[in-house]
Amino acid sequence: MKTPRLLALLPLPWLRPAVLAGALLAASASVVGAPAPPAARPPAPVPALADTATRPLPADRATALPTRRPDAARLQELRGQREFDYAEAAPRLSAWDLFWARLWQRVQDWLQQRSYTHFWRWVFYALFVAAGVFVVLKLLQVDLTGVFGRGPRRAPLAYEAAAENIHEVDFTARLAEAEATGNFRLAVRLGYLQLLKQLADGGFIDWQPNKTNHAYLAELPAQGPLRTDFREITRQFEYVWYGELGLTAGQYAHVRTGHRALAGQLAGAPARRPA
Amino acid sequence: MEPTDFTPESAPLTPPTPAVGNDTPAAESAPAPEAAAGFAPRTDFAQLAARAEAVRAEIGKIIVGQTDLLELLLTAVLADGHVLLEGVPGVAKTLMAKLLARTLAVPFSRIQFTPDLMPADVLGTSIFRQNTGEFEFRRGPIFASVVLIDEINRAPAKTQSALFEVMEERTVTQDGTTYAMQEPFLVLATQNPVEQEGTYRLPEAQLDRFLFKLRVGYPTLAEEVQILQGHHAGFGGASLESVQPILSAADLGALRAQVRQQRVEPNILEYIAKLVGQTRAHKALYLGASPRASLALLNGAKALAALRGRDFVTPEDVQFLAPSVLRHRILLTPEREMEGGTPDEVVQQIVQSIEVPR
Repeated sequence: MKTPRLLALLPLPWLRPAVLAGALLAASASVVGAPAPPAARPPAPVPALADTATRPLPADRATALPTRRPDAARLQELRGQREFDYAEAAPRLSAWDLFWARLWQRVQDWLQQRSYTHFWRWVFYALFVAAGVFVVLKLLQVDLTGVFGRGPRRAPLAYEAAAENIHEVDFTARLAEAEATGNFRLAVRLGYLQLLKQLADGGFIDWQPNKTNHAYLAELPAQGPLRTDFREITRQFEYVWYGELGLTAGQYAHVRTGHRALAGQLAGAPARRPA
Repeated sequence: MEPTDFTPESAPLTPPTPAVGNDTPAAESAPAPEAAAGFAPRTDFAQLAARAEAVRAEIGKIIVGQTDLLELLLTAVLADGHVLLEGVPGVAKTLMAKLLARTLAVPFSRIQFTPDLMPADVLGTSIFRQNTGEFEFRRGPIFASVVLIDEINRAPAKTQSALFEVMEERTVTQDGTTYAMQEPFLVLATQNPVEQEGTYRLPEAQLDRFLFKLRVGYPTLAEEVQILQGHHAGFGGASLESVQPILSAADLGALRAQVRQQRVEPNILEYIAKLVGQTRAHKALYLGASPRASLALLNGAKALAALRGRDFVTPEDVQFLAPSVLRHRILLTPEREMEGGTPDEVVQQIVQSIEVPR
């Protein structure tokens, strides 16, 4: 900043900053807070000093200024320290890093192409198609739980769970065989299964391999001798088959008579649909 | 909050089911009066039936309904198994467990599980005796014959782990010394569903140690009216004191010995194995049941058959117990859970998919 001309008239140079600061403070006070002066009067003329008014001070070239130099040894020491080395060396990239860097560069270049503007449109198309495929698979009940490795562990079963079909068993032949060999326990079982077949054929029960004997009992009409007789026959069968009761020939004959009586009832009863 | 389903002693209670099943088909298994000679139990279950009837009557003084639950609890007691009772607050889980414990004339203790409970609070701890200069083991509340653990899933897994050894091996090992529990040893635990606030899921290893997980549901309308009538008539907690002990430790030991001798046909054993094995192959299950579940199903079925007056197990017994034995031992896949499936549904599917042996 150039020194104002009036200040240059001051005889003592070290007074110039003080005068200048005072003038600035007074000016700012008048601008910010003070009311405007009533009328600007021209400043009183400063008496000019004829011998210093227009002649600049001569440059002082005689005073010797001491030049300070940093200690060379210290400077050399600092130069050797890593903390003061501001030059960054380029990192050495491995082949793997170079591969990824180039790959991402390619991707970046691709994303910056004009065709990228259509990118989201293709994403939406893909999502729409995936949702459609998912709905179709769900409708077809295709199990995809194992695709992502989160499916249940499938343990192979070491047994056959095939249902026994009472409608395919030749009861007459097998009963005769069991009775002939004295296997009354098996004969009671076959006789009971034969009765179940007759009940299913007559529409009294809904045959399902997973149903228990008492489930069939509950399906029979609540009133009438059918349920009572079947209950007793079921009780006998359970004692013989599940209870591993050894039967004498007389006991078997008693059981078999009950079976035949119930079969006779079923043969004479009109067919119906189970409740 | 303690449930308030007290019943007036004068009011007619739901009559205890006789020694037969409780659902419609099982109710048909009552022996006909004209039972032919030879087709009768070869074991004398008169004592067992009388004691079971007495226990039902005692508990029936207080509890309205819950006949299925009571039968399953008696089954667990006879099968020497621990029981986990689950239900929302206020359905008399704790009351039922307390009443059952009162009918057993054996040492009883109750532990209220809280989030800050420590294993030593359950098992016991060693204290230093200055006069002898030795450590002495002070037994915790687990050292009783019937232990009621209330709100078991409010304690974290660290405390639950303390129960692993004692529930399975019936011993407690502390400072290198193993202490055997006295017989009988029965843990009755109650818990709120895990969806409730402030509960933890029990570790699978601990759940597997419970013979049954029983769900305690809401009473029917008629039962609730009966509860209200009883409460309104002024029968408060005093009725609890009227429940008398029925079974001593020796009685229970003898009845359990009878149960262990029940007959089980090989096809029934295979049926049990198929049911449990199917849980390991079912596509809706992430974790299937362990062989301990098969043993639980077998032991439970033997006890249930005895309660129903038979000396042999039928598929009916197995089917009846399958949900209570398996529901806490299986884990649904996340997909099935998100679809709203439940373990009971899966167990039902499995039961329906396997042929009944006959």
